[in-house]
Amino acid sequence: MSGPVLQVDGLVAGYEPGVPIVRGASIRVERGEIVVVLGPNGAGKSSFIKAIAGLVPVSAGKVLLDGTDITAVPAHRMVRMGLAFVPQTENIFPLMSVDDNLKTAGGILKSKEAAERIARMYDTFPDLRTFRRTAAGNLSGGQRQMLAVARALIVEPKLLVLDEPSAGLSPKLVSMVFSMLSDIRKAGVTILLVEQNARAALAIGDRAYVLVEGREAHEGVASELWNDPVVAELYLGQRPQPSTGGAA
Amino acid sequence: MDLIGYGAFFLTTALIFAIISLGLNLQWGLTGLFNVGVAGFVAIGAYTSALMTTPDDPARFGGFGLPILIGWAGAMAVAGIAAAVTGFATLRLRSDYLAITTFGVSVVVQLVALNAQKLTGGAFGVGFIPRPFAGLAETPLLFNLSNLAIVAVVTLLAWLALEHLSRSPWGRVLKALREDERAAISLGKSARFYRVQAFAVGGALMGLAGAVQAHFTGFIAPDNYAPMLTFQVWVMLIVGGSGSNLGAVVGSVLVWAIWAGSGALTATLFPPEQQARAASLQIVAIGVMLCVILLFRPNGLFGNLTYRRRFGLKARKPS
Amino acid sequence: MNLQFVVDGLLTGSMIGLGAIGVTLTYAILRFSNFAHGDFMAWGTYATLAVVGAIGAMVGKVAPLGPFSFGWPLLVALAVGCALTGLLALALDAVLFSRLRARGQSIIVVMASFGASMALRSLLEFIFTSRPTYFSRAIQIAMPVGFGIRITPDQIALLVLTAVLVAATHLLMTRTQTGRSMQAVSQNPALARVVGIDVARVVRATWMLGAALACVAGTMVGILVQIRPLMGFDMLLPMFAAAILGGIGSVPGAVLGGLIIGLAEAAAVQFVGAEWRAAVSFVILMAVLFVRPIGLFGVKER
Repeated sequence: MSGPVLQVDGLVAGYEPGVPIVRGASIRVERGEIVVVLGPNGAGKSSFIKAIAGLVPVSAGKVLLDGTDITAVPAHRMVRMGLAFVPQTENIFPLMSVDDNLKTAGGILKSKEAAERIARMYDTFPDLRTFRRTAAGNLSGGQRQMLAVARALIVEPKLLVLDEPSAGLSPKLVSMVFSMLSDIRKAGVTILLVEQNARAALAIGDRAYVLVEGREAHEGVASELWNDPVVAELYLGQRPQPSTGGAA
Repeated sequence: MDLIGYGAFFLTTALIFAIISLGLNLQWGLTGLFNVGVAGFVAIGAYTSALMTTPDDPARFGGFGLPILIGWAGAMAVAGIAAAVTGFATLRLRSDYLAITTFGVSVVVQLVALNAQKLTGGAFGVGFIPRPFAGLAETPLLFNLSNLAIVAVVTLLAWLALEHLSRSPWGRVLKALREDERAAISLGKSARFYRVQAFAVGGALMGLAGAVQAHFTGFIAPDNYAPMLTFQVWVMLIVGGSGSNLGAVVGSVLVWAIWAGSGALTATLFPPEQQARAASLQIVAIGVMLCVILLFRPNGLFGNLTYRRRFGLKARKPS
Repeated sequence: MNLQFVVDGLLTGSMIGLGAIGVTLTYAILRFSNFAHGDFMAWGTYATLAVVGAIGAMVGKVAPLGPFSFGWPLLVALAVGCALTGLLALALDAVLFSRLRARGQSIIVVMASFGASMALRSLLEFIFTSRPTYFSRAIQIAMPVGFGIRITPDQIALLVLTAVLVAATHLLMTRTQTGRSMQAVSQNPALARVVGIDVARVVRATWMLGAALACVAGTMVGILVQIRPLMGFDMLLPMFAAAILGGIGSVPGAVLGGLIIGLAEAAAVQFVGAEWRAAVSFVILMAVLFVRPIGLFGVKER
């Protein structure tokens, strides 16, 4: 049970061959941590995290999940391996009910087990129980994010990976989402997230990496990183708007 | 002498296909619009010109005995309008809807040709369509050659016009629309207007080809405009190469040669009672050929089309 | 007024509706209009016919079931035919559609399906000739059921079969993991992969389901009308119109659309003239495209 939950070594990835967006990035996530990946626009944060989740072709480097090499695992097998990914936008099925949205993720479980876990999710997120028969497309932005996270948690992943969970949310909802993530971590889930909203993310994160031009340029303890002059110059100098939604 | 006569006859038919292919190339090659009802627009042109130019027939509407050239102009106008209406109805929607609707147009046109006896002569079709150079009919060779000359001139004019159009600002807008969906969206309504125009001009050319053929054979019937015709023209354009006018013409001649050649072959190889079956095998072969070209050489012989990823399967996702 | 057209319309509508389910699912999940779907219908029917013949050769003549025109061999053959049609669809997808789909050009896939349609249909003509054939030449007596309506036992059986199949398909789509996965892929294929759905499996399930229903619809046409290589192609426009009228992706919509078009066709046959039947679906299609392109149960595409 020792060793990092996630270890990424020299990852090179991009949509088109010969045009890497991620250029040799390496990170490590220890058990029980919240690790934040920050970086200026266009630094390749989003592609980096999608490459880890199997959604962007990887041309070099390695991704180890709990010691198992998952670099070449196709996206739809990642959940079985124990990595659950929450995309930034369009992360729910809008025409399906909340209940069916949760059930789609239970596909890899026995139906009884899935039903139990969904019931537990409703205990954790009572809002979702209220709207369980509602089409997910009618939920508010915060509720959608809640649903997307709940769906990811149903498989009880070793690692929860989120792509800008605060994107497009009002400041109030941003703090709600981050306190939700903080609670999830307290329940024992390891979390890796990419964020534009550095202040909010660093407030709940344990450690952080700053990604610049496709590789990690800086690593540090989250609370210290906020005051690090190098980092401030690199990235945090350009204070992010509370509601930036731009993908990297 | 016979050989020259047959050669002229063959080329005349092939060049009529070439005119249809040129129209389709404007719609598909230049503008990216998928027309599955080519036969319908050809039929509209053929019937329009036939009704306008045949002598009066008490059994049906018309004819009006007008000059052939007026008939051809009318054919272009009516086919063009039909295409414009079709485009107007569907071009704001997903591209599949245009395919389905044009398919419907060809079904309905054939139905009207077959059933609206008062208008189209029904299953028996329209005969006595005036032929240019009818006076030469006694010397078949001269007759065939003069027909070929006329069709060749029409093809050449269509080609030159299309080359000019595709280089004009109008043509450049169409190409931009085909290749850059964002440009199309930013142009909004006017993008749709451009596409409707291209679709209408393409339809008019198909109508012209239908009219030219009607006056070349002197007789038309609903069966000439079955979905098979659409299919043939598509194979011609894809073989020649979408986006290239040269490809459209060469593809037409080549595929028509293969078609006529394999037809002649089956006629000699199979006994008469088996020939209908052999003919269907011929269609199978052409259908397979279309699929093989789409798979392995999507640009055909001369094509230069970079297919835009419009409406793709969430196109940017890695496969 | 003679209400016989209602029965005729419901029967035609059932066949169109069952076929349209496949069209709408292919469109929603594989994102293209499959012009070869009608030919799946014809192939399924001929496959069923061939299996009936094979069973006949093995066990000899079998008496029809009760009041119906067919015996147990047809039911067995239909099941085999559905499986064979599914395999045909899977094979065509493997050699043709999936490769073109991978390039992300959906309209090229439509074109390929048009070419495949021509080839499939002509292959049937080559093998079986274009002469019509029948499952049974027995004439059934139509029973009067009031309001001037007459119906045969076969017709009742096929209406019931349609109702059962539609209900089963609806339950499959809404209550099972396979159905939810299909819905998920149709709404967002990228997200479907993220939540652990094997898209390739869903694609296979879609082909199997659509092809099997096409085979049933074709066999119904074969029992009630006749079997011809063109039988499926002639149903193509009504099926597209039904799928669009019902709203792309909606199974109940496709069936309802099919019934509306079937009834409209039957009404046209009775009140306008049988020769104009094929124009009905075009008129309805155009009306839908102008008035409400998303159809009855459709949702706006993102």
